[in-house]
Amino acid sequence: MAPPVKVPLPPRNAQTFSTVCQFCIVGCGYKVYKWPVGRDGVAEANALGVDFRQPQAAFGKWVAPSMHAVITERDGKQFNIAIVPDDACSVNSGLSSVRGGGLAATLYAPDRPTKARLTTPLLAQGDGQKAVSWDEAVGLGAAIIKAVTDRWGADAVGMKFFDHGGGGGGFENNWAVGRLFFSGIGTRSASIHNRPAYNSEVHAAGDAGIAALTNAYVDAQLADTILVVGANPYETQTNYFLNHMVKNLSGDALSLKRGAFGAEAVEKGRMIVVDPRRTMTVAAAEAAAGKERVLHLAIEPGSDIWLLNGIARIILERNWHDGAFISQRTETQTFEAYQRSSLMMDRPRNEMLGEAAQRTGISIADMEKAAQWIAAPKADGSPRRCLMHYEKGLIWGFKNYENVAAIVDLALLTGSLGKPGSGVSRLGGHQEGYVRPPYPGGRPALNVDEAVRRGAVKLYWVGGCNPLLTTLRAGAMEVAFKERGGLVTASLRASQGKPIGERVAGVVEALKQGGMFLMVQDIYSTASSAYAHLVLPAAGWGETNLTSINGERRLRLYQRFMDPPGDAKPDWAIMALFAKKLHEFYRAEGNSLLANRFLDFDWASDEDVFIQARYAFKGTAADPIEGYAGVTYDLLRRLGPNGIQTPTRIVNNVVVGTARLYEDGKFATPSGKARFITASPPYPGYAAKVEAQRKRYRFWINNGRSNHIWQTVYHHRFLDFFNERMPIPHLEMHPDDAKELQIAAGDVVEIANDVGRVEAMAYPTDAVKRGHTFLIFGQPRGAAGELVSDHVDPATTIPYYKGAWADVRRIGPRPELTKTVSFLPQNVAE
Amino acid sequence: MTGQEDEAGCGHRRTASVDRRKVLQWGGAVGLAATGAVPKVSLAQEVTPAVAEKGFPVFEVAPLAKIEVGSEIAFQYPDADSPAVLLRLDRPAEGGIGPGQSIVAYSILCTHKGCPVAFKRSHNMLLCGCHWSSFDPAKAGRMVIGQASEPLPQIALEVSNGVVRAVGVAGLIYGRHTNIR
Repeated sequence: MAPPVKVPLPPRNAQTFSTVCQFCIVGCGYKVYKWPVGRDGVAEANALGVDFRQPQAAFGKWVAPSMHAVITERDGKQFNIAIVPDDACSVNSGLSSVRGGGLAATLYAPDRPTKARLTTPLLAQGDGQKAVSWDEAVGLGAAIIKAVTDRWGADAVGMKFFDHGGGGGGFENNWAVGRLFFSGIGTRSASIHNRPAYNSEVHAAGDAGIAALTNAYVDAQLADTILVVGANPYETQTNYFLNHMVKNLSGDALSLKRGAFGAEAVEKGRMIVVDPRRTMTVAAAEAAAGKERVLHLAIEPGSDIWLLNGIARIILERNWHDGAFISQRTETQTFEAYQRSSLMMDRPRNEMLGEAAQRTGISIADMEKAAQWIAAPKADGSPRRCLMHYEKGLIWGFKNYENVAAIVDLALLTGSLGKPGSGVSRLGGHQEGYVRPPYPGGRPALNVDEAVRRGAVKLYWVGGCNPLLTTLRAGAMEVAFKERGGLVTASLRASQGKPIGERVAGVVEALKQGGMFLMVQDIYSTASSAYAHLVLPAAGWGETNLTSINGERRLRLYQRFMDPPGDAKPDWAIMALFAKKLHEFYRAEGNSLLANRFLDFDWASDEDVFIQARYAFKGTAADPIEGYAGVTYDLLRRLGPNGIQTPTRIVNNVVVGTARLYEDGKFATPSGKARFITASPPYPGYAAKVEAQRKRYRFWINNGRSNHIWQTVYHHRFLDFFNERMPIPHLEMHPDDAKELQIAAGDVVEIANDVGRVEAMAYPTDAVKRGHTFLIFGQPRGAAGELVSDHVDPATTIPYYKGAWADVRRIGPRPELTKTVSFLPQNVAE
Repeated sequence: MTGQEDEAGCGHRRTASVDRRKVLQWGGAVGLAATGAVPKVSLAQEVTPAVAEKGFPVFEVAPLAKIEVGSEIAFQYPDADSPAVLLRLDRPAEGGIGPGQSIVAYSILCTHKGCPVAFKRSHNMLLCGCHWSSFDPAKAGRMVIGQASEPLPQIALEVSNGVVRAVGVAGLIYGRHTNIR
């Protein structure tokens, strides 16, 4: 096919919409232009307002081919869509990322690969699935939900759903899902995307009285030092890194600092990156700031608690801690316990730091340097401003609770909260928008994976997730789907054409024999939906209005600009269909108690859901970030790409946002003071099954996201730009390790251990140390979950995803798979 | 990757048919050049119709004999506002011509925000200094890592009478809605 030598320009009268990228947490602003095919603008007169008779200069407005698509609406009319980064948005200031720059390419069109979207409900029939009406799908599904609940109780209905913002999530969909499952059905058998349970990933921060997202993005421009633990923002929080962190590192933010801090000593920023790999983040930070202002701590696995507490110990002993903050803003007795337990003050300094150095692989000198950059007073004696960020390296690290506690404690020790240039926050993966009625279960939350495998879950409803790909010990999950699901499939096959009552009775019989009814709600077919008895097609980003917050709690309206494909519906509307049907069933039985649990689903629009959630959602005291008093779609429309930062409050009839949390010094505990969360010595060791794996296999299989690969590549697997880069998952390994195993770049290798096996293409690179490797987390042709044991942190039910060890074996070259793949280093910036 | 090529309808693929044609034509030209039997090359729009909407100009970049391994030649193509670079790599390249298919040329305007990319010989990559997107000149300008959403536009080359000539562009050059103004 011919290459694109022309991208049509939007005419001056093109429809315009404001939206936010559907992918990562950063939530860059984008502008959507829509106009009928054949009514293009011209070079000298177009909606972009620039004259294309001359080429645009660098940083100009440009519609890259990936930013344009032709779509077909339900009525058959065709439109051009151009989606370009919005320079009026303070998040990205007109920058796109590899993900956002290709938003248009992900749109549904019947004549492009995205035609693979689900367009109609499907019911298992014969050896496959056949299209059915929504009436039939909802009638059967709701009847089975009721039968399961009546016979086995609410917990027999299991769910695994998105809880995020951005594409497919958002306040509206999350609220509707929570209404149906929690205040409706009342199940505790709930779980979130790839994880086995329904839980916070940062319980320790919550217990300390600190929310997950505390700072404003501008704080990354104002900080003296940015500490990044277990995250790779160049690749996975791109424009937060490029548009904010880099400006600080390069000195471009100096005038902003002077304006904000007056006479206080300011200089360009420093960055500390704690990551086992020398990532592109490290390379780019060095290029921006100079090598002498970047400290990369290439940590050994399982030792974050030692590193962070070792640094804290140095800070305390050097008297660089913030005594006033600690005495006024924290519960004093927790600080005492923290010193005694976490910082091991009864052990001599050098002994404690010596052990920390030995376990982390990081010298005491580097820990001292880090301590200095984080907390030593500045040249003029003013306190240093440190912004602390953490993500999956810590959260999915060796001990979720104590890991997160260690960085939150470090922030409390140094008073790094509630002032410009500071904060302690997740860097985040997906966007947020968690508004739901309270989860009926306790803590630690019920492990749903286990309940599915054990047979306690009789009906499993999976929405926007793909457990066969991303859960831990994924192979065992597939066996459960196949065997337990197979019993139901056989029953449905036998009852084909019979009245619904008989079909439901047949399914219940199969469930009694150990079967499981599987429902999958998604935008595309997945490995999981292949086993589903009922498949429900959901609308995606741009096909319904939605609202979400980004990593600085910036709430915006993502405007609908096109129809969903076929009969696909927004998730909130699907939830409402089922709730109304369940209400009808229970009312017909005269069971008003249960019928009433499914009242108030009569939403006429997405905004109805948004407003209902606004009134009903109380959040938790520890995590107030999704409160949005007074916010309406109309307000958000007026606020456009910059929206408003949550939580909001109403002052003199004006809705006011919150740029930065805790500026009032009040934390989310009953006392209003923050708590240090202690890790008791000896620090926890590896769980038995992890330790056995670690001893038995040669390589640590670190794993995570990457620049090109957004989560499970659910859209991008259909797009050449991405597919040609990563047709199969890659495994980074040290060149010397590769050489020893006679593995060349691009060779397919087998990664195998006692849990399972994965095939990947070898990508030799000095980014990883010897004995370490790095595997892409959720690539559908091979996911890290196949290798991860089912061990979870007993305090939080959070898996140790980063904790897999395996052997690596060369299979051989597969040039037909890898011919488009570059094996040049991915961490070069100068 | 046959299966994926079948899905190429998705829009903005630029390698399949164009490159196959390029390889055939340029490979042929190189072969002939090596034997000294160089035919007169017809107008560019006739030899590379797949990359031409309105017809690209023909631009003589350099004599083949003077392009050594490691050569880096700056030129403008298809017009004076479009900086480009010709490289002779130490390895065969997709769409490459000349000895070992090692000669390639690209627009140097990064397809992210239009900053110029520079060739980093130590890593055999074209690297943008603004946001550190990098492109592999041996892989048709595909992005190694970075924030562009398109490969670097590759300039179609051919050898005619011992001279390497630019005859077309695959992909859209940054800042334009058409390559030919």
